Formats: sequence, C-alpha cells, structure tokens
Amino acid sequence: MNDTPARPLEQQVTLLELVDRVLNKGVVLSGDITLSVADVDLVYVSLRVLLASAGTLDRLALENGNGS
Amino acid sequence: MIYLYAIAKGLTTVPDVQGLEGAPLDRQRFDDFDLVVSEHAAKVEPSEEAVLVHARVVEALMPLAAALLPARFGLAFADTAALEQALREKAGTLEESLERVRGRVELGVRVVGEQSAPRDVENGREYLEARRRQVAAADELHESLAARARASARGNASGGLVLSGAYLVDPGSIPAFREAVGELESEHPSLSFALTGPWPPYSFAGVES
Repeated sequence: MNDTPARPLEQQVTLLELVDRVLNKGVVLSGDITLSVADVDLVYVSLRVLLASAGTLDRLALENGNGS
Repeated sequence: MIYLYAIAKGLTTVPDVQGLEGAPLDRQRFDDFDLVVSEHAAKVEPSEEAVLVHARVVEALMPLAAALLPARFGLAFADTAALEQALREKAGTLEESLERVRGRVELGVRVVGEQSAPRDVENGREYLEARRRQVAAADELHESLAARARASARGNASGGLVLSGAYLVDPGSIPAFREAVGELESEHPSLSFALTGPWPPYSFAGVES
C-alpha cells in the first residue's frame, strides 16, 4: 500500500506496529469468548522477544500499554 | 465457534484469503453491518501465525469495504446468536466508529530519543530534566501531527520511546502528512522518526479496552 520505500527504522518498526495493533487495538465486544488472555499474552511476549532480537528494536521501548 | 475479523459497511466481496487455521472466510449480515468471520469446530489456538493471519485478512478487507472496523485478535463467539447479542449492545458505538473511519486510513508515528538511565543522584536530576523536556517535545509533536489528522490517538511512551501516535487521515492527505513528519524530523535532529502505514484503522475502532 506504500509507494515510498520504507527507511530501515520504519521497516523494523512496521512489524512491531502491526503486532501492537492486532493484539492491543481493534474492536472488542462484550460477552464474547475471547481467546484466553493468558494465551494471547504469551503470543505477545514471544513476538516481542522475536522483534527485540531484530537488533535496534530493543531501544524502541516495546511498550504495550498493559502497564507491564 | 465463530471467529470475528472485522465489522464493515458496504463490503463488496469476501477476499480470496484463508482465515485462521485455513478456514474459509464467511460473511454474515446483522442490521446493516457486514461481519467477516470464520467458523471453527473447536477453540482456535492463539499463535504467532494466527496473529499474522488475522492481520492479513483485515488488510485484504480494507479495499473491499466502504468502512471497516478491525476486530482485536481473539474475538470468538459460541454461535451467531451470541455474536449478534454482542453487536446489539454496541450498535450505537459501532455505527459512530464506522462513520468516523469511513474512507480513511491510519498512520503510525513512533519517535525515539536517546535513552539514558540515571546513574547517581546528580545524573538522576539531569535525567528527570531531560525527561521533562522530552515529554514537552512529545506533546508538541503530537499536537502538530494531530492538527493534520481527522482524529488521533496516543499510546503510552517511556524509556527511549518519545511518542507513539496514531493518526486517522484521508488517503489523499498521506503525502502531506509524510512531508509534515519529515519537517518535524529535520527540526529535531536528536530524535528518530518512523512513519508506518497506511494501516486499517485499528486505533480508531472506538471501543476502549
């Protein structure tokens, strides 16, 4: 969707931004059987580790807004 | 079990991509909402792969809907009745959110500064002062970008992260927004800027967690 080639920092940040959005943003409805929060948190943590290992991402403060 | 990917309006067709665990995408109608779902015999297991599949489905839906609210990963319902009940409770909010994001996309801006931890009391004081300046700069950056957007949302920032912002814009104004980020970047040589997107409007789905 992006015409301009992303710069290195942006390429690294893109996956992080994607994961943040899919796991922390988006519509939530009540009364649903949300997949176990613990399970989703585990996925989030493992993705964060994966992202952090991509190098400079560790200094991008992988905050997820969960207060953790 | 019904897994929900997005709530849309004016959905032309269901995209030719697979849902979670290879399940076909399905479309359900509730009032004038188009729901994009997949049906599963058993509970869906969250995994990194599943998160990316969810993202891919939402991305594929973007050009096919007049307005689209991405669902957060992990929303599953026992059956159609349960899904409709949940939608009925939030119909008003969903309606408003859909109108807000109609035809628009989200841009993400992350601004990273130098991270310095206080080593002793004196450095601690300096650190706090630097931190205070950084917060003031972040407010200014955010306000300047928000003024160019239809709506904005700001995430938590700490450590080296100065600003994590999301901005809802009309696609036509992406080049101008990109230019504005470039200008801010040259005004703040000590900060690194990352502009990402366009994203589906995850940050403007309107229902606070």
